[in-house]
Amino acid sequence: MSGGIFYEIAKRNVRIHLLRSSLAMLGIIIGVVAIASMGILGNSLVLTVSDSLKTVGDSVIVTPHVGGNTRGFGGGGGGATSLTLSEQDFLQIKRVSAPNVAIPVLQSSDRMQLGVGSDEIVATIYGLNPDDVPELLKLKEGGYSRGNSGCLVGSKFADDHNVKVGSRILIGTDGNKGTLRVTGIIEERGMAFDVSTDSAVVATKDWFDAAYNRNDFDKVVVKVKKLEDLPIVKSAIEKQMNKRDTVVDVMDTRKTMDTIFQAFGQITTFVSAIGGISMLVAGVSILNIMMMSVTERIKEIGIMRSIGAQRKEVMAMFLYEAAILGIIGSIIGGVMSLLGGYAISTLMLQNTKYLFVPSSMIHIVYGMTFGITICLICGIYPAWRAANLNPIDALRHE
Amino acid sequence: MSEQPVMVFQDVTKVYPLPAGDVTALDGVSFQVERGEFISVMGPSGSGKSTLLNLMGCLDVPTTGDIFISGTRIGDMSDIELTNLRRDRIGFIFQYFNLFPLLNTLENVTFPLMLKSGKKADAEKGRQVLRSVQLEESLYSHTPTELSGGQQQRVAVARALINDPDILLCDEPTGNLDSKTGAGIMELMTELNRKGTTIIMVTHDHGIAEYSKRTIRIADGRIVS
Repeated sequence: MSGGIFYEIAKRNVRIHLLRSSLAMLGIIIGVVAIASMGILGNSLVLTVSDSLKTVGDSVIVTPHVGGNTRGFGGGGGGATSLTLSEQDFLQIKRVSAPNVAIPVLQSSDRMQLGVGSDEIVATIYGLNPDDVPELLKLKEGGYSRGNSGCLVGSKFADDHNVKVGSRILIGTDGNKGTLRVTGIIEERGMAFDVSTDSAVVATKDWFDAAYNRNDFDKVVVKVKKLEDLPIVKSAIEKQMNKRDTVVDVMDTRKTMDTIFQAFGQITTFVSAIGGISMLVAGVSILNIMMMSVTERIKEIGIMRSIGAQRKEVMAMFLYEAAILGIIGSIIGGVMSLLGGYAISTLMLQNTKYLFVPSSMIHIVYGMTFGITICLICGIYPAWRAANLNPIDALRHE
Repeated sequence: MSEQPVMVFQDVTKVYPLPAGDVTALDGVSFQVERGEFISVMGPSGSGKSTLLNLMGCLDVPTTGDIFISGTRIGDMSDIELTNLRRDRIGFIFQYFNLFPLLNTLENVTFPLMLKSGKKADAEKGRQVLRSVQLEESLYSHTPTELSGGQQQRVAVARALINDPDILLCDEPTGNLDSKTGAGIMELMTELNRKGTTIIMVTHDHGIAEYSKRTIRIADGRIVS
């Protein structure tokens, strides 16, 4: 192969038309930056959400069926109403879910004060059996509550209201539902399907029952020991509870997460595709410049062909030129994508910790590969045209 | 047994089909060129000289008739075979030198060598051929635009000679040079021919044609003498 000399000619031609080549590369740079930055942003978004949801990916959430055919209010026969689950419902769920842990959850919102005379705030309050709490929540400070007067608070709740272990919280208007002492601060859990505790208070079930006069549950969380059992547990609960009528809705959190991630993946693909359009525009510019290069060098092509250069060698020379533009443009674009990804992640997510992870970096590789591929594709026609010029006509060209 | 001719034309006709009707550029042309000959081809504009040159250079194939280059019939050859034949057997010298502007003198000369060998150029052979056309060594790294017309034509001659072709085809080799420089190039040609190179030269210039040993005159697509 005499590729070396044709590569050398291609390289020199790019260098001699530096301004024109730079403008063509600028298009590729913009295209790579657009694709890679959008990809990095999308991936960072997915990872941020995934981080928030990862603690709840092993649960089946059972809630009373809302709407449609239910057993109606009042819980006839001890069954569920449309709003809550009875003790009997919970026991049935627990039985079919065994050996997995079924956790009944009570939930309300209420006014509360962080000391007598302080401003009232409104927050979510959960009621959980003390034995179930360690299954569900991890503490970053303090210990789990044992007595009915103790409670846990979420880390955001603690930060926002300057609550510490030992602080007291008055629940209800002017503390009419009682006072709870903070025994521990829960690790940040992010958005969750089971219990979202970051800005909430977690009391004991007995305290909750007494304070809100409840003897039922808002939901049951089944923590599955083996992830592959999730669909089996879900199906068993549905089979048991929805025998005649639809009594409960059963949500497999992993499936829900998969759906969410799939949606985010589609969004990432969509925004990257928008970046891809700029790459196509850059490709048209490459095509234009390559056509210009061929037109300018028709006579040179004629001389090459007449003294013994094969068509494929002439074609390779122009493809080398397109590849040089694509490779240099893509490398510069790849480096700039890091800066672009950093800027866009900072602006939109206020977080750059996912910038250097492999699943983000791969978008730079995608962008660069697409850039080089587009350049080569757009170089094919001009190169083919050059290679197929009639040597006699090309030699006569002025 | 006598050596076979380097080029044979047997009743060659070339017809160009045009919308206004077929144009016969060459009509039943026959001649042969023996090894070591120095031939000039002369004729008025439109006589068929360019068509003859294209056929002799294997840039085109005849409509009818046969052409043999060193015994090889070119009529049925593929584009790849014709290209290889041009590369290996024929050296081209053009009126406007036609050097590659992006390559320096040595690279221009060794270009056909690289096409043939597929390897990095044998720079020493390039220097040797450049010395044979009497080009100063200090000019070997210069680009064509840094050379005079006469120097460029010497580089073009060196490029044509690098693959040791059977035939050197020259199209008005002095047409773009002043008379003194042109004479220098023709002396170089004569010297090459004396050393055994077969030269076919198309020219309008009777003075230049006198350097050759034989003249083929062509008119209206036919050889007239």
